[in-house]
Amino acid sequence: MGWETWIITTLSRTLAYGTPLLLGTLGEIYAERSGVLNLGVEGMMIMGAYSAFTTAYITGNPWLGILVGGVIGGIFSLIHAFASVTLKANQVVSGLSLTMLGLGLSGVFGRGWEGKPLPNPISSITVPGLSKIPILGPILFEGQNLLVYLTILLVPLLWYILYRTRIGITIRSVGENPATADSLGINVDRVRYLCVFLGGLLAGVAGGYLSVAYRPAWTEGMTAGMGWIVIALTIFAFWNPAHGMLGAYFFGALYILSFRLQPWISPEFLKAMPYAFAILVLVVVSRGTLQKRMGAPAALSVPYTRGEE
Amino acid sequence: MKKTAWLNVERRSVTSGRLVFAVSIIAILAALVVAGIFFQIYGVSPIRAYQVILKGALGSRLGLAETVRRAIPLLLIGVGLTIAFRALFWNIGAEGQLLMGAIAAAGVALFSGLPDPLLLPVMFIAGFAGGAAWGLIPAFLKVKLGINDVITTLMMNYIAIYLMEWLIHGPWKGPTARGFAYTDQFPRAAWLPTLYGTRIHWPTLVLGLLLALVMYILVTRTRSGFEIRVVGENPDAARFAGISQLKTTLLVMLIAGGFAGLAGVGEVAGIHHKLLGPLNISMGYGYTAIIVAWLARRNPLAVIITSFLFAIIISGGDVIKVSLGLPFQLINVFNGLILFFLIGSEVFIRYKVSFSFRGQ
Amino acid sequence: MRTRFAVVTLVAMAIVFSLASVAMAKEYVPGDPLKVGFIYVGPIGDLGWSYAHDEARRICEATFPWLETVYVESVSEGDEGLYIDKLVQDEGCDVVITTSFGFMDGTLEAALRHPDQIFAHCSGFKRNDNMMTYMADFYQIYYLNGLMAGALTETNKVAYIGAFPIPEVKRHMDAYTVGVREVNPEADVHIRWIYEWFSPPAAKEAAQALLADGCDVFAFTEDSPTIVQEAAASGDASFGHYSPMYDFSPDHIVSGQIAHWEAIYLDFLAKVYAGSCTAHNLANVDYWWLLQEKAVEMGAKPGMLINPVYDDRLKAVMVDDPVLGTISVYDLVLKRLEQMSDPSMVFDPFNGPIYDRDGNLKVPAGLRMSVFELTTMDWAVDGLVGPWE
Repeated sequence: MGWETWIITTLSRTLAYGTPLLLGTLGEIYAERSGVLNLGVEGMMIMGAYSAFTTAYITGNPWLGILVGGVIGGIFSLIHAFASVTLKANQVVSGLSLTMLGLGLSGVFGRGWEGKPLPNPISSITVPGLSKIPILGPILFEGQNLLVYLTILLVPLLWYILYRTRIGITIRSVGENPATADSLGINVDRVRYLCVFLGGLLAGVAGGYLSVAYRPAWTEGMTAGMGWIVIALTIFAFWNPAHGMLGAYFFGALYILSFRLQPWISPEFLKAMPYAFAILVLVVVSRGTLQKRMGAPAALSVPYTRGEE
Repeated sequence: MKKTAWLNVERRSVTSGRLVFAVSIIAILAALVVAGIFFQIYGVSPIRAYQVILKGALGSRLGLAETVRRAIPLLLIGVGLTIAFRALFWNIGAEGQLLMGAIAAAGVALFSGLPDPLLLPVMFIAGFAGGAAWGLIPAFLKVKLGINDVITTLMMNYIAIYLMEWLIHGPWKGPTARGFAYTDQFPRAAWLPTLYGTRIHWPTLVLGLLLALVMYILVTRTRSGFEIRVVGENPDAARFAGISQLKTTLLVMLIAGGFAGLAGVGEVAGIHHKLLGPLNISMGYGYTAIIVAWLARRNPLAVIITSFLFAIIISGGDVIKVSLGLPFQLINVFNGLILFFLIGSEVFIRYKVSFSFRGQ
Repeated sequence: MRTRFAVVTLVAMAIVFSLASVAMAKEYVPGDPLKVGFIYVGPIGDLGWSYAHDEARRICEATFPWLETVYVESVSEGDEGLYIDKLVQDEGCDVVITTSFGFMDGTLEAALRHPDQIFAHCSGFKRNDNMMTYMADFYQIYYLNGLMAGALTETNKVAYIGAFPIPEVKRHMDAYTVGVREVNPEADVHIRWIYEWFSPPAAKEAAQALLADGCDVFAFTEDSPTIVQEAAASGDASFGHYSPMYDFSPDHIVSGQIAHWEAIYLDFLAKVYAGSCTAHNLANVDYWWLLQEKAVEMGAKPGMLINPVYDDRLKAVMVDDPVLGTISVYDLVLKRLEQMSDPSMVFDPFNGPIYDRDGNLKVPAGLRMSVFELTTMDWAVDGLVGPWE
């Protein structure tokens, strides 16, 4: 078993584990770009995981499960949108309350679903010709599943929308300077609602991926803090979907490596890395000009009211 | 004034204390009603459920003792958070600061070799320092580099968790723990005394009550308190008046982090007497204390009441696990609902809301 | 003002309550209905450790008409004292059973607080007049599983994924390795730790890590069927743990260990009912129950020692044993099982000579390990590869 195989299998697992991270991050990027800080990702993820699993179990269709998971995550996020955008409540506290609610509700409803094997999980695919390509083949085309590929495809799509379309400019301006956007006739509230919904939707799908494809099974609290890593990742990615992809796979690799390298490196060290990196990245970027180009949306977590100040 | 198709939201110019109180009560009641629905789903009448919870949390000696014990860390952290929130510093990192305080205290208890009478006082000082240091880092980053405090404090929580895990799996693993991930038990001199037959480590409780009083005086009657309030309510005016934002931010996080650290000392010196898994020590107190401080409307003295209230809820969770066989997670639903209704009700405090059917 | 008044009242209440006398729960009278409380560290739905204890509880309640039970699940370590108090004072339990090593100190303190109640602590080593310890250990079964693993591996790399580096898990790893090496002196046992009793994602990735290293037979100590599923997805063999995990992989699971805690519970509770075990004579009561007491069973599900799917392969591998001659692994496993189930325990996996992986002789020829040595075991048998802490 040489170096090559070791690297290939590590990267292959990284792809699998990084997918839910990437999905969640893409969604959170859009939400935060519109100016809403969503700390409820963990709650939305786990609600997605629970609803996806039960739907897949009952109907026998895992993809329906994923869809339902996403929708439930989205609906859940609308609660946060309502509180943050319409009621102009404190976004930090609103997000935290949704995390608690999500964990609590899924724990309460999820009782009795633990330990049930899913008859039809999303199956692994091996793409016939492509999996023979040296190195890339076994990583990308062997043992992954359709959701992994869909997620990868989402990245350029969401990047393009955010940076090269009118919609993207709208979203970004709402997040940078809502007053200006408002004066240009943009409905700030509606944009924020939609972005938050997208964030919840993708978080729900990420959770569904965990319970229907990755494991597949349901356990209380199974997201195990992934939502918080997503929040760290969003910063690490400078609110840019392309960087988000690199970041998600990087953080995913750290998790995988914490097992591979167990004989040599303390696993706690590797597990703390994502969080330390997020802070490090913020420090590095905080210096002047870089921040202008790559910093947080200026109006992040500030509720907007027309005519105020 | 903002008008949408159905909701008019107009900023209030004056908010009265009575309004705040009334709205808060209504919010909590609303949360209780919604939570009651979940009890019903499990076949338990909400009335009976709340009866059992109140009786279990308050109606017996054991229950009341447990409730008081749960209130202690909430009180300490909550008081610190009211100060931080006053300066608009969003400290989500109390969990991590608590753990750093616990680590510092454990270090003193296990390795300092100090004479017995000095152990507990030094543990408290070390715990305060540990938590404060952990809180000062995000404070520094915010003032000097403009980095968002929510993110940094949140991330530091996890770094603290993994630091503690590394310690208990590695260098601090106790020889008597037979390979399990604990430190040795602290020497007896490092155990906080408890009220007879209960788990109430009263020195920490007294400390918390005192600090609540001291912080109230600080905020309302001292210059520093004044500066903190101005920084929070009107940063521009603060700058204009020459108030140093750096000094103020560092001060509030020294307090908030330090108090959370003290809570950590209380937990390990009063309850566990060793270091174990981080989540078994912090138990979400750092997050629950956010609601406690929020509900107290940033008044340190009111934290005494709200911490007790939430202690009842936590205690209630223990009760429903045993007596009603309901899942403990219901408590998270509770807390989430209360928090949510509270912030939702804010709108009625800050703004006058009226419904209209006229379009824009 | 209102706030201050409330504060003073609360503090006064606390003090008054603390000084009030404790209502002492009464000591149990043999022959009366018995109420027993169980405290679990995990959810009963974990299909692992806590599930097995809860199944045993149910069997006891169904067997003894005079028995009433109550349980609390998912109790964090550090919280056990509080729940024990609730079970004793609010629920009126006569016996409290705590089912995790981490509850040891809390149970002991509770035993001292409630001298008239009876306590039973699982997998620990501290006792008191009213607190006994008990354990149903798997080490013999892990040895048998190891024999099969040694025969079935084609890469000579076998995996063991452990929860915590504690003596219990190390003892099982050592027994497993003794078995593997007996059949296949070329094979190594590769280790990974999860640092949690229950963590399916960690179990999954640890399994993947070992799969990448080339392991093709999997044993583990973790409270979920994740590793069985992971191994099966790659077509590899595995051994179930604690609960019957056959249904998760009927084609690939070989065997496993199944706990029958009820053997111990039925015995102990009957003795409490009869009055031979009381709150005063438990200081030396330590159940160390194995195959012969039927506290543990080998198999992926009850009644199926070895998955028939593997019969042919196991019969095809032959081993030379000094006493038994040339014998197939299949027959060896059954023979050893018989020997260890015998009340006189004709065979023990840790019969000397046994060397650790640094070359030291840990068990001299002709000797066995004592129960104390077994419960404090922390060295690695020759053949184990990987982190040991």
